[in-house]
Amino acid sequence: MKKKKISKIEKMLEIPEEVYSNTPKIIITGFDQMIIENFKSILEYEEFYIRISTYIGIININGYNLNLETMTNDDLKVTGKIDSFDIERISDE
Amino acid sequence: MFVKILLKYILGYVRISVEGYYIERFINICTNNKIMIWNIKKEKNAKIYLNIGTNDFREIISIAKKVKCKVKIIKKKGLPFLLHRYKKRKIFLGFLLIIVILIGISSNFVWNIEIQTEGNQEFENIYQDLENSGLKTGKLKSAIDTKEIVNKVRLKRDDIAWMGIELKGTNAVVKLVKADKKPEIVDENEYCNIVSEKAGVITKINAQNGTAAVKVGDTVNVGTVLINGWMEGKYTGIRYVHAQGEIEAKVWYTKQTKIPYNITERSDTGNEEVSYGIKFNNFKINLPKGVSKFKIYDTIEEEKKIKLFSDFYLPISVIKITNKEVKEEQKTYNIEEATNLGIQQLEEELDKEIEDKSKIVNKNINTYEKEDGVEVYVTYEVTQQIGTNEKIVY
Repeated sequence: MKKKKISKIEKMLEIPEEVYSNTPKIIITGFDQMIIENFKSILEYEEFYIRISTYIGIININGYNLNLETMTNDDLKVTGKIDSFDIERISDE
Repeated sequence: MFVKILLKYILGYVRISVEGYYIERFINICTNNKIMIWNIKKEKNAKIYLNIGTNDFREIISIAKKVKCKVKIIKKKGLPFLLHRYKKRKIFLGFLLIIVILIGISSNFVWNIEIQTEGNQEFENIYQDLENSGLKTGKLKSAIDTKEIVNKVRLKRDDIAWMGIELKGTNAVVKLVKADKKPEIVDENEYCNIVSEKAGVITKINAQNGTAAVKVGDTVNVGTVLINGWMEGKYTGIRYVHAQGEIEAKVWYTKQTKIPYNITERSDTGNEEVSYGIKFNNFKINLPKGVSKFKIYDTIEEEKKIKLFSDFYLPISVIKITNKEVKEEQKTYNIEEATNLGIQQLEEELDKEIEDKSKIVNKNINTYEKEDGVEVYVTYEVTQQIGTNEKIVY
């Protein structure tokens, strides 16, 4: 995945990165809720494991009773008991 | 997001189960096609539950065919389905409509008249006067001309200093300010007599202007002229004046009562029975409670109007009927007790009537024993100013 070039204007205007680029934003509220913006697709979905691919890598979520609440084409909300999550970078080099 | 789901609720959504091997692919295709799905839950290895809007359902089926998944509708939710279900309940719907219409119509009427006064001023028969002037419960709000009613009531009554009517919802708030009753003032320049306003014996008379008509020790009645409004001069003849002067007289206040020896005294036992009734404007329905189990009781009715919001009164009121059991006891007094009781009662009454206690000169108590009770007379002797002005009418 090629990183988009950030124009100087956008940097000056301080527009949040997730708005103009495809970089994902992950928000965890408490330990039971997780919002992922700018996701690409779901690779795997089980009750205890969710694998989500984004434009810069893959996010793995472990837990149990995991639900996919409210899904739109760029937002995703995961609820359930989240145990851990890790990130797999897609290396450019 | 919440707004979006609410919108979907209004448009209707379904909860479906999707069964198949490539479920992740199914979800991804949905998101790529910008179909909103929410509340996704995986149950077994190859089955998920999800919510979807009704308008996207056809698209979902074609996607499911593509990835070879089975789609099953589990629940239909949302307003369209709800309305569809109530379509069959025509009577229910009809009544709902009727109630809404009735409430709408009844909001155009005045159902409660509230009177607000400053302090504890009391107005006698104000409700009746208001009714006669055109403000009564059950009248169309648009037919009420507040200005006209205010004018009419103020013409009728002379004890109102200010009055305002405000229509709030179905509640008419009448605000009143009491006017002090003015004594009839006779102009200084006009000729007048001084007339007695109470019966009594004159103890002091001092005519500053005019001619005294009575002497000290004379008995006067109500309306007797005390100081005449004219003066007689040797040379000038009779000349009319504005009479002025001080007249003090002994006035007697007498109260009388009869205390029987045998008295049935009523007292509360503390037992209560409560029943309720409903009143529609003037039509009353008592919820049955049967005959009261008490032998002797007092009934107290309390009426409470039902209101929807703070000012939306409905023409329905709930009546709370409380029956209080009363015990009757026969009591016998001897002569002494009865007289004491009578004197006490009368003195209390008289004390209320006479404001200035220092003017009381003498107290006089007479008792007459009769067969069945004691008659008690209490007389207070009070020195008082008794003169008032009265215009001379030729």
